[in-house]
Amino acid sequence: MTRQDIEREVRDIFLRAFEIENPEMDVNLREAYGFDSIDAIELLLEIEKFLDSELTQEEKKQAMDIRTMKQIIDYIEVLAAKRKTLPEKNK
Amino acid sequence: MFGYLFILLFLFVPYYWVAGGGTVALQKLNHLHLKGFFMLTRRLIPRTTYVIDPKVRELRSSIIICNHISYLDPILLVSLFPQQTTIVKNTFFRVPIFGWFLRRAGYVPSSPAEMLGEAMIKNLENVKAHLAAGGNFFVFPEGTRSRDGNLSTFNRGVFSIARYCGVSLDLVFITGTDQLFRPGTFSFNTRKDNVITLELIASIHPDYQARNFSISSVLDQARQVFEQKIADVKGDARLKTEG
Repeated sequence: MTRQDIEREVRDIFLRAFEIENPEMDVNLREAYGFDSIDAIELLLEIEKFLDSELTQEEKKQAMDIRTMKQIIDYIEVLAAKRKTLPEKNK
Repeated sequence: MFGYLFILLFLFVPYYWVAGGGTVALQKLNHLHLKGFFMLTRRLIPRTTYVIDPKVRELRSSIIICNHISYLDPILLVSLFPQQTTIVKNTFFRVPIFGWFLRRAGYVPSSPAEMLGEAMIKNLENVKAHLAAGGNFFVFPEGTRSRDGNLSTFNRGVFSIARYCGVSLDLVFITGTDQLFRPGTFSFNTRKDNVITLELIASIHPDYQARNFSISSVLDQARQVFEQKIADVKGDARLKTEG
């Protein structure tokens, strides 16, 4: 899974789940798009679906500090590397 | 409120310590207390009758979505289920003793500060464990009581919580509580013939793993069911008046 794959998926999630089209990489999502804590939970569940793997409580807690698209992509990259496997559907 | 604080201080708190603490013990005690309250109101207010759908009473491990028309709604639901929790306004958590009880009994604060970061994950995990243990989690997605019987905007929060917990949603429709305890008043209207009903009007089983799943579509589906029910009830009432 490349960083571009992750970015494409995250943009798709934002469009599908939050109706936010092409969010900028470095803007604060809460300030720019009103992305709230409930949205953050939704995002976590979408990430679980994307990785085809349940996140641990610790991993979920780490996600609560994320503020930008870039941080989301970094976060997923780390998770994917930890799991070292690609879900079939995303290959 | 002061009566409730009195009961909490001299019944709930000692019981909590004697029982060795525990969320479930407090929920059951609260359930018994409010069950007794409604048994008493049935005796003292005979003009109000209760029609509770047996399917509502049987709900377990469920996220229950309700319309909200009176302060009586949450306590009526507590009286039906031995294990239950809900979202409570943050201001109540600051009331001495009562706030202690709410936290110990596993109620979830609505405050943004309590629903951010680690606290949010902790609250969600607690709700998940509560549901897995057979408890119910009931929520009024409008957030506030309706003054005219029509639905206000639904908050998305409970639908996200349902997804997080991976459970279905049971939609319960309440009528009549606003006639017994009207919004804007702090007294019971005991003179009017009234029927309080609780009916299970639908169960929604979302496919959370579907590629095209969206919280908005589940919210819209739930809202449509309630709107249809309200339209039916109003239509029936109109027919009765005309007939």
